[in-house]
Amino acid sequence: MELSAFIAVLTGGLVLGVLYSLMAFGLALVWTTLGIFNFAHGAFIVLGAYIAWQIGNPDAFGLGFLVSAVVTVIAMFVIGVIFQFLLVKPFERKPNIVLLTVITTLAGATVLINLINVMWGPRSKQIVLPASGDLSLGLFRITANEGLMVLIVTLTLATLGWFLLKTPLGRSMRAVAQNREAAQLMGLNVPLLYAATFGLAAALAGLAGVFIGSIRFMTPNMGDDPLQKALVVVILGGVARFTSPIYAAFLVGIIEAFSTYAVGLYWTPAVLFVLMIAVLVVKPEGLFGRRERSV
Amino acid sequence: MCLQSRMTFNHFHRNDALAAFLEIKGLGKSFGGIHAVRQLDLSIDRGEILGIAGPNGSGKSTFFNIMTKVPFAADRGEVLLEGKNILTRKAHDIARSGVARTFQRESVFPSLSAVDNVLTTVENSSAGGTHRDNVAAAILALDQAGFPATLHNTPAGALPVFLRKLVMIAAALALKPRVLLLDEPASSLTPHEIARIQALILKLKEADMTILLIEHVLPLLTAVSDRLAVLDQGELIAIGTPEAVIAEPRVVEAYLGKKQ
Repeated sequence: MELSAFIAVLTGGLVLGVLYSLMAFGLALVWTTLGIFNFAHGAFIVLGAYIAWQIGNPDAFGLGFLVSAVVTVIAMFVIGVIFQFLLVKPFERKPNIVLLTVITTLAGATVLINLINVMWGPRSKQIVLPASGDLSLGLFRITANEGLMVLIVTLTLATLGWFLLKTPLGRSMRAVAQNREAAQLMGLNVPLLYAATFGLAAALAGLAGVFIGSIRFMTPNMGDDPLQKALVVVILGGVARFTSPIYAAFLVGIIEAFSTYAVGLYWTPAVLFVLMIAVLVVKPEGLFGRRERSV
Repeated sequence: MCLQSRMTFNHFHRNDALAAFLEIKGLGKSFGGIHAVRQLDLSIDRGEILGIAGPNGSGKSTFFNIMTKVPFAADRGEVLLEGKNILTRKAHDIARSGVARTFQRESVFPSLSAVDNVLTTVENSSAGGTHRDNVAAAILALDQAGFPATLHNTPAGALPVFLRKLVMIAAALALKPRVLLLDEPASSLTPHEIARIQALILKLKEADMTILLIEHVLPLLTAVSDRLAVLDQGELIAIGTPEAVIAEPRVVEAYLGKKQ
């Protein structure tokens, strides 16, 4: 492998890592806080992409990329809150909540995907990003649109980190994730914080959808792959800290890039899943995790 | 003398048929056929420390659970705080209305620092203000609980048991409670640490805090309580001065079994 090819593959992996960290962050946030796995996360990503296309694309409302991204994030937050209220909250105090919500979120995902099919049809679409040209730093070369994605995602995750560590609401969300009952006793409004967490996760999924819809062609069924990748990232990295899935996302991105180069696109998912199973056997709490879940 | 004056105060209160500060009426909770708490009636005065004893499984912690609605609510009955039934509120509103509780196990937010644990409470209480005020209130609560100032920024999960208990008590105090429910604050502590908990409770008593105290460590319970209530199989079997209650045959029987 030549150096230039190596750098190109590595760059591709890092860019994927940025995207995967955004996709996995929301999934991890819901898992640590509500203790459930949201199987509609992929559908949220798809819905986000379609909302952004509807608002931003010249063929639809044509309000431009920035407006579409902002509207998507806000709309997905609201949709996430409603989704949680209808499909997760009713089962909160049930002992088998994990299994119940696997079913309800899968059902919700199916409904969302079919709604998207009805509203936008099965024909593929693509979001047009505003930048053009390439950016280069030494041997590293990415498109300007990839650069825009890296910038926005980095800013988003940094803001989220600051929000979780430094603001009262963020602190309360971490507190609820760590100890629901103590949080109630300390006067924290747990139902409100759960709804906010779910909404935030959906908003992040929506933003990820905006970028996926610009990199690939959008179809209503494109959410399965992002959901699988987010699942691999969360399991591989663990959720001990909110940074754990971010490290894992870069690891998965880089492994995927090199695996695609070495064994091709067809076998790459198999490589990732074998790796995930190996981690589950050897270190079930995740590569960057301790045993308990917290934020 | 203090006890004497309190008794007169009680006497005055009840004779004039005024509502007690905290009144528990017909409180009950069942799980299927098991009555964890049956028909509990109690009335507690402001500034009183009511000790609660009873063998394991007698319903002491369930009593605290259903008073705070964490993790479950009562099936029947009322808890009147200054005449208002708090059980109509949601769990977090009960906490914000001034009923604070600590758990038997050291229940903290492990990855948050000691001061952040208490700060979270301040920020969510009705007394929340600017960030600077909130931090000051959190530090004050930690000081009140006797938590060492050098460990404020240590993650609560990394602290020893005793200090985790102090963080929990500080967080409860930060709610500025009108009633403090302490669930076995002395469990798994050394005698020296128990003495510090005792001193802390007595200090709170001086500040006129109303406290319900569940405890298995009898010397601590009798030393701080104005009255002692004993539960057995979800029922109140005795209440009165600690000395009188401990001497009661039914209480001895509940703890040690019936004389053959």
